[in-house]
Amino acid sequence: MKMERVGIVGYCQLKPELDMMMSPYEAIYSAVRGALDSAGLKRKDITTVVTCTNDYYDGKTISNCFKVEAGGAYMKDETKVEMDGAHAAAYGQYRILSGNHKLAMIYGFSMPSCYLYEPVRILELDPTFDRTISLINSYTAGGMQMRAYMKAFGVSEEEIAKVAVQGYKNSAKNPLALPDVKKSDISVQDVLNSEVLSSPLRELMYPIPCDGATAMILAPERQSLKITDTPVWITGMGQCQETYYLGDRDLSKSVSMEKAAEKAYKMAGISDPKSEIDVAELFGHTSCEELILAEAAKLAENGKGATLLDSGSALNPSGGAMSAFTPCACGLTRIVEAAKQLRGEADEYQVSGAKKAIASGQVGFCAQNSILFVLEGGG
Amino acid sequence: MAHKVQPAIISCGFCEHASKRSDVNMAELVNEAVEDCITKANIDWKDIDAVVNGNMPAFEGANMPELWMGDHMASKNKPLLRVTTGGTTGGSVTIAGYYSVASGLYDMVLCIGFEQQSCGDTTVGLASVALGEFSIFSDLGYTIERMRSNMGSGAAIGVASYQAMNYMRRSRATEEDLARVVVQNRRNAAKNWWTHLKMPTITIEDVLDTPYISFPLRFGMVCPASDGACAMLITTEEKAKQIADIPVYINGVASYSNESAIIGIDCAGAGQTDPCEQLGAMKSAEVAYGQAGISFPNKEIDYAEVYSPFPNQELMWVERIGLFEENQAPEAYRNGVTALNGELPVNCSGGVNSTNAIGASAMERPAEAALQIMGKAGNQVPKTVHTALGHGWGGSINLITHVVMSDEPQRKWR
Amino acid sequence: MVRAEFDFWVGIVMDKFYDGLQNKQFIGSKCSKCQRVFLPPRNRCGDCFAKAEEFVELPENGVLKNFTVSNYNVTERRARKAKEPIMVGLIQIDGADTGIIAPIINISPDSLKEGMKVKVVWAKNVKGHPNDIAGFEPVGGG
Repeated sequence: MKMERVGIVGYCQLKPELDMMMSPYEAIYSAVRGALDSAGLKRKDITTVVTCTNDYYDGKTISNCFKVEAGGAYMKDETKVEMDGAHAAAYGQYRILSGNHKLAMIYGFSMPSCYLYEPVRILELDPTFDRTISLINSYTAGGMQMRAYMKAFGVSEEEIAKVAVQGYKNSAKNPLALPDVKKSDISVQDVLNSEVLSSPLRELMYPIPCDGATAMILAPERQSLKITDTPVWITGMGQCQETYYLGDRDLSKSVSMEKAAEKAYKMAGISDPKSEIDVAELFGHTSCEELILAEAAKLAENGKGATLLDSGSALNPSGGAMSAFTPCACGLTRIVEAAKQLRGEADEYQVSGAKKAIASGQVGFCAQNSILFVLEGGG
Repeated sequence: MAHKVQPAIISCGFCEHASKRSDVNMAELVNEAVEDCITKANIDWKDIDAVVNGNMPAFEGANMPELWMGDHMASKNKPLLRVTTGGTTGGSVTIAGYYSVASGLYDMVLCIGFEQQSCGDTTVGLASVALGEFSIFSDLGYTIERMRSNMGSGAAIGVASYQAMNYMRRSRATEEDLARVVVQNRRNAAKNWWTHLKMPTITIEDVLDTPYISFPLRFGMVCPASDGACAMLITTEEKAKQIADIPVYINGVASYSNESAIIGIDCAGAGQTDPCEQLGAMKSAEVAYGQAGISFPNKEIDYAEVYSPFPNQELMWVERIGLFEENQAPEAYRNGVTALNGELPVNCSGGVNSTNAIGASAMERPAEAALQIMGKAGNQVPKTVHTALGHGWGGSINLITHVVMSDEPQRKWR
Repeated sequence: MVRAEFDFWVGIVMDKFYDGLQNKQFIGSKCSKCQRVFLPPRNRCGDCFAKAEEFVELPENGVLKNFTVSNYNVTERRARKAKEPIMVGLIQIDGADTGIIAPIINISPDSLKEGMKVKVVWAKNVKGHPNDIAGFEPVGGG
């Protein structure tokens, strides 16, 4: 199935902070305003707004209800996707493709400094059993996933630590990375010496939840070309949710990403992702998950994801989730980072000659629900 | 507006609603509606390309429950989108289903709205929500008294009673007029199989005999809290013609948001001081009618399902969405215009006033409207319905959904 | 009908599961189409979307499929360290096709190994509650 191209015409990622000195509304306003400015548009040009917040991550029931004004949605066709920002981008894409809307504003936001992220995740578990025994959270699920991956493919802890190191080194070049993770001189040994969160997952393999907001503007092909000379095109999109039960799943792989990637590549007409994709911005919850997702997206053979550090598609040149992990915005930030690469705007961490990129988002434990976008540059 | 793809509803499923569906868990509750929907459409679950779902997250204290309920939603290894907008969740899910099909990316989309309000521990489930808010308010220097007073006005009954006062002042509607709406709704509900409050013999006096909760709203006028789920299948025009006898084409959708009413950002007060003005609803209706090529909604709409947990809202919405002239609704209700055999029947399903499973409610409105067009509604109107609408409101009465549907595809008017 | 903690109705099949725990017995459910056996039970098979309401009694022994040892309390924020490392196991009971998440006890974290044979240890007072499963211990004392 070939789909019409949807253009990314503007975006803005707010500088993430561990404890942002802004109200949620100021943060959202700044991101949305920034995106409009980057595209040279005005609020009146927006026809639809897709909010991405989560009532639990936001400490507020119906979290979009008071964000109408801040998000530029006053008297606009507004709705909310309660997943990752990348899923909101997909809904924005549906709205554009339907022909009903000419300009879609998508923003993702959360503030883990006020409303803690980790403890709330227990509310995502099956309340009839898993939640009551309280044994699954981001750490333990990440730990089991890493063990399954290491065992299935004989991967060592060092190799996964290398991915984390790369993440920190890339973050050091990214002006929008959290200051705390800009570690240009970190070594593999530092990662392996960091504290064990849940064996074998270590502290430095796990991104720090931080406050932030990201906004992005989508438009149909014709309008995109009028708004900017350098639109970035969404040429493929695939999404999939696999089963919840960890006991049913082979955690060393990601079925959700495999199916999402298959669909997205087919739509974009990509037959050999390994050679065709120049940049991959993947939202992995842990360093290990980045590899699993990259392999599921067919950038490397199963178990050989770590080879991407040396050759092949550039994996997370921005630092990925490691650079700034804002729940609800992280997937959207990945799309924005990929778009920056394709536009040649990623100064210090620019991948030279980037033509095609992929960006992913996810929700759930061990990437239960994954979404993958294929982006292409060049007017 | 040129659609490349014309979405159509082919089937709607419900589970039985009650105040406590203690026999099933949330996943099984949803499954009942999904099964009902798929069975009625007579399709294979594998033909479903994508699933869109939503519920009101804070009520059960379960975050993104579709993650663990996925297998019960026929969604394993399929795309699944969660859309939640408070009271309008169901409507927003329907609209997301519409856009999923209209985008051309999916052919058959299953929409699900659900709520099991008897579930969840309010102290655990809601505390994490409320406590987060408290912490930021105290950071901003609000006193606990101010917070408390604002929270009261933010609760549904708080906003609704302000709204009722404003509406009664404008339209000179009496308490009896409000009670009449309740009686009509609950008598209708008695004839519809899946509803919660079935009261076939209720009278206006019965309603007016109950105590006030918040003037002018009485206990007997307020919607119940229900457990329930609703599912709907949306597909393309071509497929719909093969599957359904009477496909219901969705011709207009809109969800325009207003400022929040009364309670505002950080409890700082809001610009929308009159919650029965409803600019968002007027704009949504205008846009959706425009898309559907409807110029005279009061003449062209044959059937309406509006979202009215409180009776004053039903009177207000039918005016704001252009079915009646301003302040004329109470008179119309007195004359039986909106009754089952009236000229413009409204809420023959029993409405939200009789059954309110929050996340499902706003989807049950378009679903029941679609069933009236198909001729398969539990409480079917005697006349033939060609064009109908399903409406929803949520948030702080500032989020609106409006879905216009017909037995003819949109191009008839093009 | 049992209510799980957090006041959730447990539903058709989990009710049987908790009844089973009260009798120190694992009860799973079987898909009517593909015959896969689920423990904990669920009333729908995701692959077939068929009913899985046939109940199967399952033994107390199983295999440790995966595990992790967490230094932090799962319900708490990160700053709260656990007194003792928490051993979380993914156990496939013999005769079941899926895994159950449960604590591992009576073994040092260093001797844990995938593929180990384990056996359930019941709580002193079983009352039809998830905590009736005190944990799983290695068969033969590990």
